[in-house]
Amino acid sequence: MWLFLIKYTASTYKETLLLLRDRAGLAMLFIMPAALVMIMTLLQDSTFKVLEEKKLSVLVVNQDADTFGINIVDGLKQSKFFHVIDSLNGKVLTESALREQVAAGDYQIGIVVRPNATRNIRENMKYNMLQQLPDEHSDVFGSDSIALSPPASIEVFFDPVTKNSFKQAIISALREYSSLVEAKVMFGVYSGVFEDMLGIKLKQQGMSTRMVNINEQYASTDEHLAVPNSVQHNVPAWAVFAMFFVVIPLAGNLIKERESGVSLRLRTMPGSDLAMIMGKVTTYFMVILSQAILMLLIGIYLLPLLGLPQLKPGHHYLALFVLTATISLAATGYGILIGTIAGSQEQSAIFGSISVVILAAIGGVWIPVFMMSGVMQVVTKLSPLNWSLNGYYDIFLRNANLMDILPNLTALFLFFVTCVSIGWWVNTHKNQPV
Amino acid sequence: MTNKQDFIEIKGLIKRYPHAEANAVDHLDLTIAQGEIFGLLGPNGAGKTTTLSILCGLISATAGSVSIDGLSMKSHPDQVKQLIGVVPQEIALFDKLTARENLLYFGQMYGLTGKSLRNNVENYLRRFGLTDRKNHRIGNFSGGMKRRINLIAGILHQPKILFLDEPTVGIDVHSTNVILEFLREINQQGTTILYTSHHMNEAENLCSRIAVIDYGKLMAVGIPAELIRSHAGCENLEDLFLQLTGRKLRD
Repeated sequence: MWLFLIKYTASTYKETLLLLRDRAGLAMLFIMPAALVMIMTLLQDSTFKVLEEKKLSVLVVNQDADTFGINIVDGLKQSKFFHVIDSLNGKVLTESALREQVAAGDYQIGIVVRPNATRNIRENMKYNMLQQLPDEHSDVFGSDSIALSPPASIEVFFDPVTKNSFKQAIISALREYSSLVEAKVMFGVYSGVFEDMLGIKLKQQGMSTRMVNINEQYASTDEHLAVPNSVQHNVPAWAVFAMFFVVIPLAGNLIKERESGVSLRLRTMPGSDLAMIMGKVTTYFMVILSQAILMLLIGIYLLPLLGLPQLKPGHHYLALFVLTATISLAATGYGILIGTIAGSQEQSAIFGSISVVILAAIGGVWIPVFMMSGVMQVVTKLSPLNWSLNGYYDIFLRNANLMDILPNLTALFLFFVTCVSIGWWVNTHKNQPV
Repeated sequence: MTNKQDFIEIKGLIKRYPHAEANAVDHLDLTIAQGEIFGLLGPNGAGKTTTLSILCGLISATAGSVSIDGLSMKSHPDQVKQLIGVVPQEIALFDKLTARENLLYFGQMYGLTGKSLRNNVENYLRRFGLTDRKNHRIGNFSGGMKRRINLIAGILHQPKILFLDEPTVGIDVHSTNVILEFLREINQQGTTILYTSHHMNEAENLCSRIAVIDYGKLMAVGIPAELIRSHAGCENLEDLFLQLTGRKLRD
């Protein structure tokens, strides 16, 4: 035990000296993750703001020129999401010009409201009403027979690169405006019938009051809950990603020792290899923990200076610290594993970086887990980056405490123990004496 | 009490690496007495480093046994490792640490601490003429200086047995001389030395006994002068070596 402690302390001190002597490498360990968090958060924030703040230009050709077409165009114009363009270079837009512009990729979306849309809606309303009225009132719309007309039609043209979210936004908006116009036309038709049958003339055509109000709120019992935004999502996501990227310098350190013969020399000395491994774990654990704290501080203090929302770290600082420390351990353990199983620096660099990217992808760093397919939603539970990310989301967005994130902590700690155990086993497996 | 003649005992040692067509070490029997400087000589790929690796506990043998001072590496690994010092062929040091930091680290890996370790380090640095460079990083040292630090790192705990794999490879005459003088000195103080080299003159002058191995087999063992005399046409160890191992080029 005494020998273990001496070797552990000496190894920790040696690793710290080696890191401090490699100033450029050390700076990279902090500057690159900090830059990653800032750039990715800024980029993601811009993407989120496209629909909210930057209006999406939409080409519109209204061939209806009646209630339906006018209401659709007015609805789009009044929306905060869309900028309606119905003429280009001083000329009223035609359908062919619209299609050319969208096909060329100059605009992402083009809308054509087909002729007679309003008339068709009105005729179909009358037709439906006649189907419902008793036969003695079959002349309520006059003596002319009323036939079923084709539905009103809107054509929407998309540039092939248009994001699905934009498509959904425009289709939802069109459905909403169409429903409003349908209700308006229906109200008009019913008003006419009402007047004709009862002799009462209504004072206005349509409804003056909104009947349904939709309030957006986040489900929580905590009134101090942080509002989810790009910072609350991206800072922890990219921080976790960067923390796991320590596999490259750590694995490289292990392989360098192996290639220089230091590792072999150390194996000729008494005592366990575990002391040396734990020395590396301790040093790199401190580095990753410092990285993570730096990235969280960037979210709190620096990102607001760049015009982004401030990161709200929740109210359970102990839980936040324990989670960050456990993620640091898990990332260190993964580096030890890669460093012991990889055959060369090249192998460790390629396998280490690509495996972290894969773990990040399936862990929900880039794409939210709820948007993944059924199988991938199961697979995501295998990624330590997912356990880490969910722990942060729980603390930041759901105000979770230490007990709430215990399952995440347990999984991450077991991952660390497993990685170090396998790494230690691989390291000593080749060291079987006669 | 261990028989001093069998201080290191190798019996029927066989090592075959996975997927290899032949044994790297093939039924090797050797005994090395306490206080000897024993030279293990052979061409490239003869099995010298494999034998040394088995003796150091780095790799396991396919068959046979090895004991050091009556202890088996398998049953008493830590006791055996405390008895031995190893100086590998590679400069197994940290370039970014100073000479003193390197030596303190490797000393601690043997369980040495405090004043005794610091004194040991200072004494050896002085002995090898490196005191004025002790706070300089190893990465900036010459090949000879690195070799000297590489040697000190293996003897800080004052082992009973010292294994050296090509300790003078690639260095100048002065550094070679300092190292060989030192090896004679610690041998006179009781350290048993097992040494591999390609320098036949060096081995002839340094070793009390030598063994020549080739293709993992023992070709000859004895006192250098007696071996040379007993082989007709040999005037020195190099002649003997070429006679035993042939003149064909090896990888």
